[in-house]
Amino acid sequence: MIAHFDLDAFYASVAQLDDPSLRGRPLAISGSSRRAVVLTASYEARPFGIRSAMPLYRARELCPQLVVVAPNSARYREVSRACFAIFEAGAHAVEGLSLDEAFVDVPTDSLDAAVDYARGVRERVRAEVGMPVSAGVSTQKMVAKIACDEAKPNGLKAIPAGSEAEYLAPMPVGRLWGVGPKTQLRLAAERIETIGQLAALGDDAILRLFGRWGRELRELARGNDTRKVEPDRETSSVSSETTFEYDVRDVAEMHRTLSELSVDVAERLAKYGLRGTTIGIKIKRDDFTIVGRQTSVAEPTRDARIIEAAAGRCLERSTLGSHAVRLLGVRVASITEDTSEQMSMFVAQENATPFEGV
Amino acid sequence: MKFTCSTKDIAAAVSAASKIVNAHSTVPILSNVLLTATDDSIRVRATDLEVTLEHIFTGEIVEPGSVTIPARLFSGYLANLPAGILELTGTPTRASVKCQRSNYDFHALPPDEYPPLPSTQKGTSFSLDAKRFREGINATIFAASSEEARGAVLMGTLIEIAGNQMTMVATDGYRLSKWQTTLAKGLDDATPVKYIVPSRALAEAARNLGGAETVEIAALGPAGNQLAFAAQNTSIVVRLVDGQYPNYSQVIPAQFDRSVSVSTPSLIAGLRRAELVAGDRVSMVKVNVANQQLIITANSDTTGNAYEELEVEQTGEDLTIAFNARYLVEILTHVDAPQIKIEFLGPLSPAAIRPSDEAEGVRQMYVLMPLRQ
Repeated sequence: MIAHFDLDAFYASVAQLDDPSLRGRPLAISGSSRRAVVLTASYEARPFGIRSAMPLYRARELCPQLVVVAPNSARYREVSRACFAIFEAGAHAVEGLSLDEAFVDVPTDSLDAAVDYARGVRERVRAEVGMPVSAGVSTQKMVAKIACDEAKPNGLKAIPAGSEAEYLAPMPVGRLWGVGPKTQLRLAAERIETIGQLAALGDDAILRLFGRWGRELRELARGNDTRKVEPDRETSSVSSETTFEYDVRDVAEMHRTLSELSVDVAERLAKYGLRGTTIGIKIKRDDFTIVGRQTSVAEPTRDARIIEAAAGRCLERSTLGSHAVRLLGVRVASITEDTSEQMSMFVAQENATPFEGV
Repeated sequence: MKFTCSTKDIAAAVSAASKIVNAHSTVPILSNVLLTATDDSIRVRATDLEVTLEHIFTGEIVEPGSVTIPARLFSGYLANLPAGILELTGTPTRASVKCQRSNYDFHALPPDEYPPLPSTQKGTSFSLDAKRFREGINATIFAASSEEARGAVLMGTLIEIAGNQMTMVATDGYRLSKWQTTLAKGLDDATPVKYIVPSRALAEAARNLGGAETVEIAALGPAGNQLAFAAQNTSIVVRLVDGQYPNYSQVIPAQFDRSVSVSTPSLIAGLRRAELVAGDRVSMVKVNVANQQLIITANSDTTGNAYEELEVEQTGEDLTIAFNARYLVEILTHVDAPQIKIEFLGPLSPAAIRPSDEAEGVRQMYVLMPLRQ
């Protein structure tokens, strides 16, 4: 069975965890610049109509008593690691999607046993870390994730084996992985609005509408998602990605995000005793097209600074056109095991900045 | 424009210039060389906007003016001409070349669209022996990074001038080369200067200026952000890398506590044989120093074991240290001495490599970081 966990209003919950005076109050995580937008709104802020990506001044208009807290990415990583450690206990494999979201392969065929595991994880995360987490349980990844979304906030939903198609059928097609706004529009023109309608399409229609990957999509719609939970401990590559809560155009912000992702990738490489020579980035643009760039370095590395510099180069070489960015990812591949390490002069110096001037 | 000149002169000039041209440029005119005829000389120029090379030769000018011609095409044509006299007539759109019974028209692009020469306003200048400059370039630039991902600073070579001393340094963070010499003419000013020069521009300088007697080097432009290398008939102007060079002197230990002195060719040969066995992506060899011997070992599950024994002059304690054989060999092949001295501090500290006897007027040293096992 597969469980999907999602930490509720992650950034806001971390802030409320660290500062009890914020609990129960409408809270927004946001930068402080004049053009700042809301990164995450606590559940208390949502009834006021405050949403992610909303300009901060607008959020303050809607809710004058709104408390605004600056983001703290180091702390988010710390809390995330503590939660992931709990996911891992009793799991076959854990696949992190971001700091606050993971798939877990639970080694059982029994829904009840998987639900018990998920309930146990939720209790431990609440008791030991102090964070609210929602869970979805199913035989397959996509259904588990959708169930988790429905269980939010702070809930658990399980879909018994065999009832996946029935569960998905009434949902809008947009809930399917890979069906974005554009595809939805095209489908709406064909009067296909629910997942059930898509599942019922014949071979010809599916080929005409989606081309080669249509069959795959229809299988998803029919509740046949055979993808496995890919453990993070794979040796071919280590990656980390994040979907922005709003589309980003600010290149400086993209670089900041790449920097955080690089640290995350570097930490995971270190944890598994790996290094890699290929460094790449993944960009999903606001039209849902995905572009990637990669480069290689002479010596296998897990130095966050080297990864960040290479990822930054890749971003500079990427074609964004007039598009904003929805998602950024950093990946290190061409992995080698930790047998020997070419030492570097600049990293070797404790507390020294690697590129400080002569 | 119209001129006549020797086929040999123009072939050499266009060939040198065409090596600067970026074959993948998206700006069409940058694929061309610019020929300008004035008075009694013809200047051939090429640029990729970072490096500009200009070569001057003499000819008989019938009508002054300029023309631009696709570099690779023209260079290929000229390379296949017999020795003799060539006549070139240029218009904004066409270059007509006559040589004996060979008669060609090349499509040209208007010369006024060609990027102008970088500023010629000279700042700080100094000069040195051209052959020595070439040796210095060859001895240093190989250690610079070739990875764009590491940034332009590490891809560059540092040139430092203090008084009449010139130091060149290149490093990719794993190895470092440092080369020093005395200038023929030092700075007028007491303030030292530092330039980070794209290493490929220095490679071009070594190729084109080494045959002359003296190379004159001058900072150009109001901001001094260009450097010009000039010798005899050739000048190269390069846009300097903007940035701060790593504080390399901090990573070179001031003192070492043990050393070996060893025959350079024997060590190179031993390392090259052992590297074949190490053979992996990281060619790890272990170097053990004890009892006045240096023992190189390497092993791999797929190939076997290597063992090499060399007689050395050892001072200080015994040591076992691991290196990437490829890096060590590359350094050794650039040390200009039959006998070298390697100094150590410990298995995880940088090692320094220098000639046992310094050549006249030059100081050379390399630093190599070991492999951590």
